[in-house]
Amino acid sequence: MIRLQNVFKDYGGRPALVNINLHIALGEFAFLVGPSGAGKSTLMRLLYREETPTSGNVFVGGVNLNRLQRRQVPLLRRRLGTIFQDYKLLPKQTVFNNVAYILRALGVEEKEVAKRVQSALSVVSLEHKTDAYPDELSGGEQQRVGIARAIVNGPPVLIADEPTGNLDPATSLEIVQLLERIAERGTTVLISTHDTTIVNAMRRRVIYLKNGEIVSDVDSGVYELEPNLNL
Amino acid sequence: MRQLRVLWRVCIETVLGVKRSGWSNWLVVSILAIALTIFGGILQVTMTLKNVVTAWGSQLEISAYLKDGYVPKRVAREISQIPNVQLVEIVTKDVAWEEMKSTFKVASLANPLPNTLHIRVNNPDGVDKVASRVKLLSEVENIRYPLKVARKINDFRHFIEIAGFAITAALSAATLTVIGNTIHLLIESRQREIEILSLMGVSPFYIKGPFILQGAAYGAGSALVAIGVLTGVHLYLDPYVTEQIVSLAPFLAKNLEYGMWQTFAVMLGLGVLVGAGGSAWTSGRYIKI
Repeated sequence: MIRLQNVFKDYGGRPALVNINLHIALGEFAFLVGPSGAGKSTLMRLLYREETPTSGNVFVGGVNLNRLQRRQVPLLRRRLGTIFQDYKLLPKQTVFNNVAYILRALGVEEKEVAKRVQSALSVVSLEHKTDAYPDELSGGEQQRVGIARAIVNGPPVLIADEPTGNLDPATSLEIVQLLERIAERGTTVLISTHDTTIVNAMRRRVIYLKNGEIVSDVDSGVYELEPNLNL
Repeated sequence: MRQLRVLWRVCIETVLGVKRSGWSNWLVVSILAIALTIFGGILQVTMTLKNVVTAWGSQLEISAYLKDGYVPKRVAREISQIPNVQLVEIVTKDVAWEEMKSTFKVASLANPLPNTLHIRVNNPDGVDKVASRVKLLSEVENIRYPLKVARKINDFRHFIEIAGFAITAALSAATLTVIGNTIHLLIESRQREIEILSLMGVSPFYIKGPFILQGAAYGAGSALVAIGVLTGVHLYLDPYVTEQIVSLAPFLAKNLEYGMWQTFAVMLGLGVLVGAGGSAWTSGRYIKI
């Protein structure tokens, strides 16, 4: 579902990603870990085409993103659910409208919008908060709204860039467990994080990035600060 | 159907955008309304003058004013021999004076009017030739003919046209700047929202559309204000202007005015074009998706 082939990315000669080769299958759940500045966010941005690689190929759902024209980028992003550390909710819109926004922008009928939004909110257990505004919610609830928004259009891939960065440990674990349940329905989930606690609690695939290189890629792994090389 | 729903949503977003803009809506509409009022007024005046020129110029008549002491009948006979002259009508100074006294209140003084000959020419090309021949006659003091006046009016119309359109162009440029800045401020205040929408895969049309429609709405709103002002001015001035035209040139048809509806349609079109164009340019420049 996600494939990177010999991907290099540099910013003005400063390398951010170095020869990345990675494959994440359909329905897989994986963590992308590493210290700050390791290149996690750069790799995530390549997946939703916020950035393009300096060289190499990035495939999402079989589509080579290098060949994607500018006008096709929105089509890619509709097939990806993206979750952000700062939630990126529309502050003046209710929970319902935040989740419904993309469906309405796609011209989905209002009855269908209501049905799909309620369904997405029930997955994240927020069906009772439809009329609340983001600033009336806790951090964990806001992130759950972000997740509901990401899954409302039924994307085959979910990418979460530091989704627990602003949350306390207990809420972080709840959020990651929620993402795991979503992955069990057949959605590919890739989470970038530097939170050792949640990674070690889940025991799922762990891809370790350091200085822009993958230094470890382990199934059922843990996040050690200096991993054994195990590629 | 899906496209219609998207369009409907874009319209809703446009209305929300207008609500968010607050006082700047009034600034944009006022400036654009001033520009459109000037443009509409100039269009109305120049097109009406054009109609006057056409109607006046089509009058194939020359008035020759005779020197005192000559017999009008004899001069009329002489003029009727000139090629292209169809008819010569004599209006003696006494008849003219009586007519004038019946129309206007005039002081009791000696008749100052000359004997006049109204010369009808059989085709427009002959008017100048006949006029130059008549002018050479020793019995003729002066001549006047509508075509000559029409040419002067036309020169005046050209001047108004050029000056007016230059003013309109300058005001339109100023309006474009104001619209551009207003939409730019709106884009800046919604930059985070635009970024979120872009990351969610919302189409550029859906993101930029409301800004462009907002500009078009400014144009349409301003045009309606300008149309209201022009209609008021028209209703106030029309009886006076018509009376003046009829008294100055009774032979002119009463409905010389260029159609108001045509003027309004042009104003509305220009307003929407300037509004939408300014917004489209600004959106294209500042919204990077």
